[in-house]
Amino acid sequence: MEIQNFRTGDSVELLISGRIDGDGAHQLEVEILATMKAGAKAIYVNLSQATFLCSAGLRVLLQYWRQMKHKQLVLQATRPSPDVDAVLQTSGFREMLVEKL
Amino acid sequence: MTGSPPAKEHHLQVVLKNKPEGKRKLLAALQAFAQAEHLPARVLQAADLALEEHLTNLMNYAYDDKLSHDIVVRCSVDQNALTIEVEDDGTPFNPLLNPEVDTSVPLKDKPIGGLGIHLIRKFMDELHYQREAGRNILSMRKRLAS
Repeated sequence: MEIQNFRTGDSVELLISGRIDGDGAHQLEVEILATMKAGAKAIYVNLSQATFLCSAGLRVLLQYWRQMKHKQLVLQATRPSPDVDAVLQTSGFREMLVEKL
Repeated sequence: MTGSPPAKEHHLQVVLKNKPEGKRKLLAALQAFAQAEHLPARVLQAADLALEEHLTNLMNYAYDDKLSHDIVVRCSVDQNALTIEVEDDGTPFNPLLNPEVDTSVPLKDKPIGGLGIHLIRKFMDELHYQREAGRNILSMRKRLAS
């Protein structure tokens, strides 16, 4: 899995390519933490090129969605690929998604 | 000499260790099997996800020791469905007894965790568990037709 980080002011887009499996979820968590530490006020996790999402990835998204919300900040997922969208919808994560850009 | 041609093999068996590298080995074998058997993409997606979730649970929770254990994964295809059987010698655990997840709970109240078995239930069509000779056997079936 690869993560590209695009920063515009206080807003950061993380473009994920490949599989968010157990290893990928860990990698995503490290990237989100670093992005939060760098002062991002909004993090958008672009899932258009993610080919796979498992529950470990859902856990990371949920955990940091909550942490950011608690600080009055934003973490949302955007543009999920069809396979990833199926996992998000099946798990009740529609609220995580935002139409963006 | 007459007779039927030998039956084509429609089986895959992979024995992996209870280490994360095992999942990568299995995925490569599963993808090759799916291609050889012309499995629909959605069937491979479901199998991939179900195996990722179940194997992660096994590797994280099934063993009380630090020893190496074999996990046997068998896949077979008939004209109707893909069947996957996962056999392990870990702690007795029937995942089908886990309560259903209420997906309507808003994100702010959603429990973190418990979604792995939920995804297996939702992406596979039939599940069956048995404990036999000190081993857990989870059987999962995915219909080929949508």
